[in-house]
Formats: sequence, structure tokens, C-alpha cells
Amino acid sequence: MEKVYLCKTSDLAENQVKRIDNSEHGDIAVYNLGGNYYATADLCTHATASLAEGDIEDEMIVCPVHWGQFHIPTGRAQGFPCEIDLRTYPVAIEGDAIYALVEVAAPALIAKG
Amino acid sequence: MSNIIKTIDVTDSLENLKEVCDIEDGRISGRIFYDQKIYEQELEKIFARCWLFVAHESQIPNTGDYVTTTMGEDEVIVIRQKDGGIKVFLNACPHRGNKVCFAESGSTRGFICNYHGWSFNVAGNLVGQHESGIYEASDFDKAKWGLKEVAQVESWKGLVFATFDPEAPTLQEYLGPMTWYLDALFDNQEGGTEFVGGCIRSTYDCNWKIAAENFVGDILHAGWTHDSAARAMLGGSVAKVSDFEESYSVNWNGHGYEFALDTVGNVAVLGESALNKYLHTIKPSVAERLGEFRANMIGAVSSCTLFPNFSFLAGQNTVRVWQPRGPNKIELFTWVVVNKSAPQEIKEKWRKGAMMTFSPTGVFEMDDGENWEYCTKTAKGRVTAAQDLYIGLGMNSRAEETSLPGNVFKGQLNEANARAYYQQWFDHLSTKRWSELPNRNFGKQEAE
Amino acid sequence: MSAQIEKQNGQQYPVSFEQHHKISCFLAYEYRLLDEERFDDWLALMHEDIHYWMPGIENRRRENLLEHGFYAADHMAYFDDGLRDLGRRVARFKQPSAWAENPATRNVHQVSNIEVYYGETDGEYVVHSVFQSVRSRGLDEQYVIHGRRRDLLVQEGGSFKIKQRLILIPNATLTCKNINTFL
Repeated sequence: MEKVYLCKTSDLAENQVKRIDNSEHGDIAVYNLGGNYYATADLCTHATASLAEGDIEDEMIVCPVHWGQFHIPTGRAQGFPCEIDLRTYPVAIEGDAIYALVEVAAPALIAKG
Repeated sequence: MSNIIKTIDVTDSLENLKEVCDIEDGRISGRIFYDQKIYEQELEKIFARCWLFVAHESQIPNTGDYVTTTMGEDEVIVIRQKDGGIKVFLNACPHRGNKVCFAESGSTRGFICNYHGWSFNVAGNLVGQHESGIYEASDFDKAKWGLKEVAQVESWKGLVFATFDPEAPTLQEYLGPMTWYLDALFDNQEGGTEFVGGCIRSTYDCNWKIAAENFVGDILHAGWTHDSAARAMLGGSVAKVSDFEESYSVNWNGHGYEFALDTVGNVAVLGESALNKYLHTIKPSVAERLGEFRANMIGAVSSCTLFPNFSFLAGQNTVRVWQPRGPNKIELFTWVVVNKSAPQEIKEKWRKGAMMTFSPTGVFEMDDGENWEYCTKTAKGRVTAAQDLYIGLGMNSRAEETSLPGNVFKGQLNEANARAYYQQWFDHLSTKRWSELPNRNFGKQEAE
Repeated sequence: MSAQIEKQNGQQYPVSFEQHHKISCFLAYEYRLLDEERFDDWLALMHEDIHYWMPGIENRRRENLLEHGFYAADHMAYFDDGLRDLGRRVARFKQPSAWAENPATRNVHQVSNIEVYYGETDGEYVVHSVFQSVRSRGLDEQYVIHGRRRDLLVQEGGSFKIKQRLILIPNATLTCKNINTFL
């Protein structure tokens, strides 16, 4: 489990989403839903789109490109054309710092052909 | 901006146009209502150049609110932007040209083409596609392929106009001193006007000009054509316009407004005394705002067309666009305009009153439709279409000494506005660019 | 989805075969009066509180529907009439100067798909139907309007009066210049 620093709580107002660039694990979207913080992959599972550029509606993030929706706390794909769930990350708050806890995949035992 | 529309090449003018439209001689011919070649010239030399009415601001108050309409036969989307501005786009996807918005109005995050999933935001920018990876592999430049944006969009007191032509003069120059008169309906109270919800669309087998010309300055027809409706609504005949002591026909750049100064002659035909009373109640405040002269115009016997195809009646408060659909067909879009500050029950009475009188079920409009259709249809005859039609009433009626702005003519029973309208039509069809257009205005730019 | 009458809540109780037949005949009779230009007789079938309403139909996306889907009470309409308004329309038809009615418009009105249910009040009936109006003018003009109606009829003596009529056409654009008839 790797602890990835995202941003300060003071940088993320209520019902806002922010994209954190991350070349290693893929960009991460961090959300503040009424004082609760969540993190998901930022790339839409349907087509190339940064979810952080979309709108938050209740607990859903609406993709700015084809308006598909994901449930932010669970990553569940809920609106056409999104059918593949979004990866979510547990979040840790330390002081005013928000971290995502990223599970690092074990190296494949057998190299892919 | 790469999404700005590509302008079209303007073809040469038709020869011998004067045979079908000679205004100095006071004649036109039916060919201008039925000829396909003339119609094609109109689409490129009038509808692709002039300022055209596309929406009322009140129809699209919030970001993402839109209406769709046409500019000539070109389909467009009119949409409110995040910064409060308004943009107008061609309603066609820049990939294969499919229509991207099929609704007449609504509110949206953007538009997604049904064909290949190209997605545009409210600013018209292409934000993505289905199977976006394929485009990325082709070094596709998204920035270049947004919805095509109409060259100029401007609002005047809630009325939104757009033009495809980047060389077109400003809207203010285009309308000129006509705005002074338009205030009588569109700015007679604080807060201005709004449209009642919805738009009635109907179809006439007539040429677009014959309807527009009727509103530019033909009150003459009312006493005869509308006798039955007046008797039904008022129990008597239409007001005898020739009895008015003072009335005018005013034009500028082909726009025309004919009016009396009887305050409530138009509104009276709605047969709702509460509306007459409302206008009388607001009249003192209108006089304070616009002066006594225009306070007399607020619901007076009058009509107006802004060149080429936007018309209204103050008092009946019907607003319409005669959308061209071929030389002998139009789609008529009809709305009702009301003062924003008017009480709700007054707005309601105007909604119903305009429907009762000037709409496809309106008792007045019933008798207009057949006239306009057969003015058009008779021109199907090759010989008939070649005959002269008289348009010479009031040839020498110019008001020489007047403090009023615009090209002012005495009396509203007058074909001066119709002549100015067809002259403007002739001038557009005879020239390729705005800079070549002759200036035929002789009146004052501003009221004295 | 074509023009939609709002779904009614609760149970609907169909009337007897005999009552259904009476009301069907009434609707056919009403339409024959229009075809024969017997406008005063037609007007006499209207209840004094008649609301004769044909709203404008708006072509909107499913996520942007209006109060009643494709139409709304405070939006533009073709008819939104009370008895006085209908009377004024009839008055125009009867003027010798109704130029566009001479030669006369020839009408055929047809009504079908009739469903009759008991209304909420005794002696009132909710009637759903489908209509077709064919008009011809001049030598070659023909206009056809189809639509759906929901009427509220009130029994008066041996006959009925029309208290409410809602007329919905499927068209967002009327395919003709006017509606110089009743539907």
C-alpha cells in the first residue's frame, strides 16, 4: 500500500473535485462531498476524459464528455455510456493533508507473452 | 478561433432584376415570389448576410439554456454561455454534418452527435468522442473541430440577432433610428420584455416576402381583409385608418414601421378591456420614459418588419419570423411578447388574446393566409408572373419637415415602407458585399 | 411516443355498453354539426364553463419535459377558450366578409377509439377518443389533422354537454396555415 499525497483540505472546497497528476498510477481525482473526502481514478472508463472537469451532482461525478456517471464513494458506473466501474482509493487525512492509499499490484508471476 | 464559420462565395447577381422590381417606377412582379433562381440568390445575398432574429433573451436565461431555429434555411443553435453571453452555432456536426440538437428548446451540458458520439460543450468546443483513442492515434486536433460559430451575435433590448457575415455592419448601424420606434413596444417599462413560453409553428404555401411586406407597412388591407374578424371580436368594423389625424410610415435600411398615435387601436381587437386598461395605466410612465409621442404608440394601430423577416404588432404583441422554405413556402414561428413587469393575469390575457387573433387559429390571421398563398400561387403562371404589380401608393408623401428620426412619410395608408423594403431586397440582390450596398436613407439618425 | 394524455391515477370504471353507445353517437353527432356548418347548434353542446384547450406541442428532449410533457398550461396554444371565445370564433365564420370561407371549406370530421369512463362526479364522463379532420378548400387544397382528445362530458337531460376538451396533435409544426375549424 503506497500513500500518495493529493492536496491540502484547504485546497478543496465543499462539492469540488480536483485532478492530481500522477504518472505512476494514473491521474487521481480527489473529491470533497460535504466534508467527506474521496479519491478515484481521474480517467473516465469509457473514453478519454478527465472526470475532474465534470460536474458533481449529489454523490455522482458526471463525465464532461458523454455525461456518463460514476458513484464517487464506490466508483460504480451508473449512467450510459459508462459500464466499467471506476477505480477508487481509500483516503487518509493527516492534519490538513489528504492522501490516497494506492494498492500497488504485485509483479506478475508469469510475464505476459 | 478556428471554429468561426467559413463564409460562402457570393455568386454573380441575376441580370435584368429591374424587370421584376423597379421601385422608382412603382412596380414589382410576381416572379419575385415564385422563381427558384431568385430564391437561391436570396439565401446567399440576404439570409447569409443580414442580421436575423434568433431568440429573445428571456427564452434562455441560464447557462446551457438553448433554442434552435434557422437563419434562412441554415439550422442553428442559440445557447447561453457560462459568462452570460450568447453564442450561435450551426446545428451540424463538423464530422459528417449530422444535426446535433433535435429539440426546439431545453437546457443542456452540451450536444453529443448521435452518429459517432462527438461531444461539444456549451461553448461549442469539441471535448471528446466515442472511441477517443482512435482519434488520438491519428494526431487529431480537437481544437479545430468545434461547432461552427456564427460570425456575429448581438442583443438589442432582449432581442437577439445574428449574422453569418463578418463584414455586416453592427446591429446598431443595421437597425439605425428604427430602435427609437421599437422602444414603444420593447422598452416601454423598466425591465423590458419577455416571451411567453412556447412557439407556435405553422406552414404557409407563400413566399416569405409577401408576409414580411404585409407587416412592413400594409395597414391598408386591414379594413377589408379583416372585416369579419373585427366584427367577431368587436362587434363592428376595423377602425377607419384614413380618419386618423396623424399617422406615419417610417423606414430605414428596408425596415419599416407604420403607426397611428391612438394608443390602443391594436390592443382593442383582442377584445379584453383589461389590456386596454393596462396600457392606459402605464401610459403616463411611458410618457416619462420615452416622451408623449411614443407613449401614444404602445398599442396603437401599427405594424413593423425588420428586414428581412422579423415582424411584430404592438398591442396584439404577436412576434413572428417568416422562415423561408423555398420560393413558395414558409414556416411561421409565432411568439407572444409581454412586459416583464406586467401582472401575471395581464400576461395571460395577452397569451390568449394573441392566440385568438394572430395565430393559426386566430380569427384575423385566417383571412391573411389565403391572400398570401394566392399572391404567391398565381405567379406559377409564366405569363402572370411577368405582369407588373402596382406598388405606388404615397409616392410623394415624404414628410419634409419633421423632428422624427428615420425616413419619414406622412400617413400609414401608404406603400412607402413596402417600396423601401423591396428596394433593400433589390439592392442586396444586386450587390455582393455590404460595402457595395447603396445608402438610400435620407432621414435623421436621431430624434430632435 | 406520440401526443400523450396524462395517465390517470387510480381505477377507471368503464360505463355500460348502452351508455358507451349513447356517448359515441353524441360525438358523431357533434362532428356532423361541424361538417354541416351548424355552428350555433354545435355551440349549444358546450357547457357554460367549457374549457376548450389545444396546447402547442413542443419538441423537447425527455430530460427537459414540460409540466405535461410536450405541453404546458401557461405556454402558447392553438385554442385555450371559454364559451365567449368559442362564440367569437363562430361569429367570424358567420360574417359575409369572412373571405377565406367563401367558397366554403369542406369538412369531414371523424372520431374513433372511443373509451368512456365514469367521472369523479355523478353524471360526468371522461371520454378518450382519436380524431381525424380532413378539410378541403378551393380546387386542390387538402389539410389533414390527426390527434387525440380527452373530454369531460356532463349528462344534461337525455343528452350531454362538453365541459372540458383537451386536444393533442402529434405535430410540433402545424403542416398547414390555419385551423379554420373545431376539432
